[in-house]
Amino acid sequence: MHHARARRMARRKLKSAEDERQLVEYADQEPSAFSSMLGGLIEANVKNREEKQGDFENLVARVGIFVTDIDEAVTLDFKGGKLVVHNGLKPRRTITIRADADTVMSLSNLKIGPLGLPVYVDEVGRGVAMKLLRGSLKIDGLLPNLLTLNTVTRIFSVQ
Amino acid sequence: MAFKAFSSEWASAFKDEVNKSSVYEQAGKGWKWTVGLVVEAEPDKHFPDAKGIVMDLYDGKARDVTVGSAADAQKCDFVITAPYTRWKEVATKQLDATKGMLQGKLKLKGDLPTIVRYTKASQEMTECTTRVPVEWPDES
Repeated sequence: MHHARARRMARRKLKSAEDERQLVEYADQEPSAFSSMLGGLIEANVKNREEKQGDFENLVARVGIFVTDIDEAVTLDFKGGKLVVHNGLKPRRTITIRADADTVMSLSNLKIGPLGLPVYVDEVGRGVAMKLLRGSLKIDGLLPNLLTLNTVTRIFSVQ
Repeated sequence: MAFKAFSSEWASAFKDEVNKSSVYEQAGKGWKWTVGLVVEAEPDKHFPDAKGIVMDLYDGKARDVTVGSAADAQKCDFVITAPYTRWKEVATKQLDATKGMLQGKLKLKGDLPTIVRYTKASQEMTECTTRVPVEWPDES
């Protein structure tokens, strides 16, 4: 009985440490609206969704996102349990996603299916797949980094 | 008949337009939060005082849309703030609201994952705005 209570308290302490830990940092003194939005989105996702925490802890990759129709870009530098968000595209990126604003929003609305794979058979998934096939969604570095892309999608997805 | 921008009559027409939309009804299923739009003053555009639009949206329907002070709108679960001219650009289809938020032209406060989950609903909401004829103070 005593041990169970102690375990519960330890878990509570861990949880509160997780809440207080700064998961996202901004490299620029004035983060752009797009940087703040993506950083905020990922931070909320990781803090509130336990299933995303493992991916966030393990992911080490530099992901560029360029929104073609508004000429805005960010680099998400995942450092295994920490994310540094840079305004604009920085060098040495693992993958770079280039798409219009609607497609970027669709990427964050992809459902995650069994085995942790993004679902490409529902309406949102089909839309994303078609854009990839038609070339309006471009992902540089996709083939050698498919697993990284899946991990990023899982962290990014709000579904 | 055109309605004075951000007046009570405009709010009522906007609410009717939202409730007519089957796209919004579908996309807004599950939504249960209030949304406040803060329209910042631009005296040189004949919009001298800030206004707040409070939208009580629930499960794909608009239960109420009212116009009050900016402070009223700031109490909502989600708050989108922009100057008068930006809102006019949104309502006249010159600015896409999603792009506006990504560019910081419209400032959003609220739980980001929730708003992103309802992107389609918010896009249709913007479409509804564009279907309400408006009399703009800087054009009259």
